Amino acid sequence: MLSAHTLERLRNELRGVILTIGLVALLTLGVFAAVQASGLGHGSVVYLLPVLIAAIRWGVVSAIVAAVCGVLASAFFFFPPLYSLRITDPQEVVNLFLFIVVAVVVSQLATRLRRQLELAQRREVDLRDLYAFSRRLAGAFGLSDIHAAIEDHLASVLQSDVILFAGGRDGGSGRRPGAPQPVLDAVAKVAAGGGAPSDAAVHAGGGEIWLVHAVSPKNAEFGVVAINLGRKSQDEVDELRVRLDAVLADAAATLERLDVAHAIGEARMRAQTEQLREALIESVSHELRTPLASILGAATVLSAAPALQNEKKLKALVHDVRDEAERLNNDIQNLLDATRISSDGVRPRAEWAEPADIVNSALERCRARLAERRLAVDLAPDLPLVHVDPVLVQQALVQMIDNAVKYSPAGSRITASARAVNSHLAISVSDEGAGLTKAEQAKMWDRFVRGERHAALIGGSGLGLWIANAFVAANGGSMSAVSPGPDLGTTTTIELPVTQAAVPHMEGEEDE
Amino acid sequence: MNEHSPIVLVVDDEIQIRRFLRTGFELNGFVVHEAATGAEAIRSATLRPIDVVLIDLGLPDMDGSEVIERIRSWSSVPIIVLSVRSTEAQKVRLLEMGADDYVVKPFGMAELLARVRVLLRRQMRAVSGEPTVKIGPLTIDLAARAVLLNDKRLTLTPKEYRLLQVLAQHAGNVVTHQHLLKEVWGSIHVHDTHYLRIFVRKLRQKIEPHPESPRILVTELGVGYRLAQPAEGEPGPWTPAAAAAGTASPAKTEKTES
Repeated sequence: MLSAHTLERLRNELRGVILTIGLVALLTLGVFAAVQASGLGHGSVVYLLPVLIAAIRWGVVSAIVAAVCGVLASAFFFFPPLYSLRITDPQEVVNLFLFIVVAVVVSQLATRLRRQLELAQRREVDLRDLYAFSRRLAGAFGLSDIHAAIEDHLASVLQSDVILFAGGRDGGSGRRPGAPQPVLDAVAKVAAGGGAPSDAAVHAGGGEIWLVHAVSPKNAEFGVVAINLGRKSQDEVDELRVRLDAVLADAAATLERLDVAHAIGEARMRAQTEQLREALIESVSHELRTPLASILGAATVLSAAPALQNEKKLKALVHDVRDEAERLNNDIQNLLDATRISSDGVRPRAEWAEPADIVNSALERCRARLAERRLAVDLAPDLPLVHVDPVLVQQALVQMIDNAVKYSPAGSRITASARAVNSHLAISVSDEGAGLTKAEQAKMWDRFVRGERHAALIGGSGLGLWIANAFVAANGGSMSAVSPGPDLGTTTTIELPVTQAAVPHMEGEEDE
Repeated sequence: MNEHSPIVLVVDDEIQIRRFLRTGFELNGFVVHEAATGAEAIRSATLRPIDVVLIDLGLPDMDGSEVIERIRSWSSVPIIVLSVRSTEAQKVRLLEMGADDYVVKPFGMAELLARVRVLLRRQMRAVSGEPTVKIGPLTIDLAARAVLLNDKRLTLTPKEYRLLQVLAQHAGNVVTHQHLLKEVWGSIHVHDTHYLRIFVRKLRQKIEPHPESPRILVTELGVGYRLAQPAEGEPGPWTPAAAAAGTASPAKTEKTES
């Protein structure tokens, strides 16, 4: 039985031969007419033309056919005895020999040229694939991204349906409707490795044949591919198997070169760390906050209890319990925020936000803390909307107000202001407190840094401004602090980008 | 008797939380029922008349949100979520699922009492069909579609009025951005928060005595807006939503097994 590929080649060859004969016939007609009309000598050299054309276009078989036909035609029409195929003139023998040599040489040259052209084109496509592949790998965030990239890469190289079973661990990327059961079994066998052959051809139901093959015999992380070949004869499958070996060797080399194994390992570790971190945060926030909720709740109930209203000292104790519980709660929140930031986990939920709302709600949250300060609020009219996560910015602002309160004496003034400056929105908090030395200005944004001049008197973890800075940075903004000097007060400022042009229009909102 | 103490159902698996809530509410004249699991909570809510439900999300047998959904399938009793999970996205989801309000743990008793009273008053307004909402100097007459500031009638555009109307219908409670956008501009604009910002700014200029530090139309950052608590009306008898059952005696406190 002939394979489809061989049949296709035979068909092409036959087409070339028929076209060649047609060409020779046409030429003979033309030359014959010319010889009759003008009495030129014989035109046997002209038959070199179809030989050249056939050699270049249709290959060596057609070219030899052209040579033979050409010599026969000239023998028949132009060499005595005319209208007979008998060859008597030695010139004809020379011609025949010459033509055949030309046919073979030229067709070889042409074939080589054509091959080189095809190769160049394929290389270009491969290069483009490879480039796209490496770009996808570079941008891949997790394991599944990398697997999808490998899968698509192989599909485009092999030109058929490819399912990648990643590392045999997660049972396939599941992106395409699954493979039939026998294929899955074969995949499991190949993935298990250890002496088992690294490839197999599987006859699935409906005459479909799947090839199952480890992407790389050396590196199990690259996984196992299953390729749907459709209906194919045994010969074709064998042929494809050889090709697949070559392609996969190439692909595996590419994967090695791009250090995909490393990337996969990294991604897997990142995913595990992420899981661990989230579990930890969840458990910390639950396990610590639940008892705190009881303590704080009970303290507030007690402080309002009628029985305690005349017991000043007891009431003061209850208030201490309440205040300390609140402080503990803030510290826990800071630690959680810091964990989130350290592991690069601040994901702002940006929306169009009203700057005045952010300032007002931060002040509202700090109301108790601000009770012993004179508060001034200065919001410029018509502040531009900003596209930020308002909750994160508010939390940063609360840290700033908190700091202002901590480092300034009771009764002093704290000013919160917001104004638009060029293409920025500036939200500032100014106090009349401890101020900053040059050295303090330089390192105040670091983690766990606290004002040394006051460390003994003022509590805190030294995380506050570091967290604030991270939250603002996550929103595309920046923070700064200026102070005229020690004990002359501090002004801390959040700057957020305002992209006036980007504020979307309201459609059809003539509401008057 | 046509008045009784409001009944609160406390659903939390932590006994310490239930204990301080019970004491706090009883000191303020409430009747308290307790449930430690979701199943108990659902049973309790079907068996007795309840005026407000306080529910923790982390229950041992099912997620609190599931309990909310189950209760919502037959009852419109006000529900307040008590939760240590506190991202704004979670709050929005809970509100959209049918909770009326949320309080983040840890919280003070005074804060919780204020939230509960808002919901009880709203329920009472719904029962009595009271068409006006009063917040400080602002009066919103929902029946006459009139808005008065210090007894002077304000001119609002249709959209401004609609916005205020939706907020007034939930006076004292937070209404999510998505809900407001859907009610006022239609569901295709649920993500256009800038619409809200622009109209809230205009509205505040008209209804707030000091628009730069709003006290009436308050922002719940990242979640939505809240029309401040309506002014305490004439004291009047407390007519609970569950009055129909009418059997609960004021002094009686019950515990739903623990």
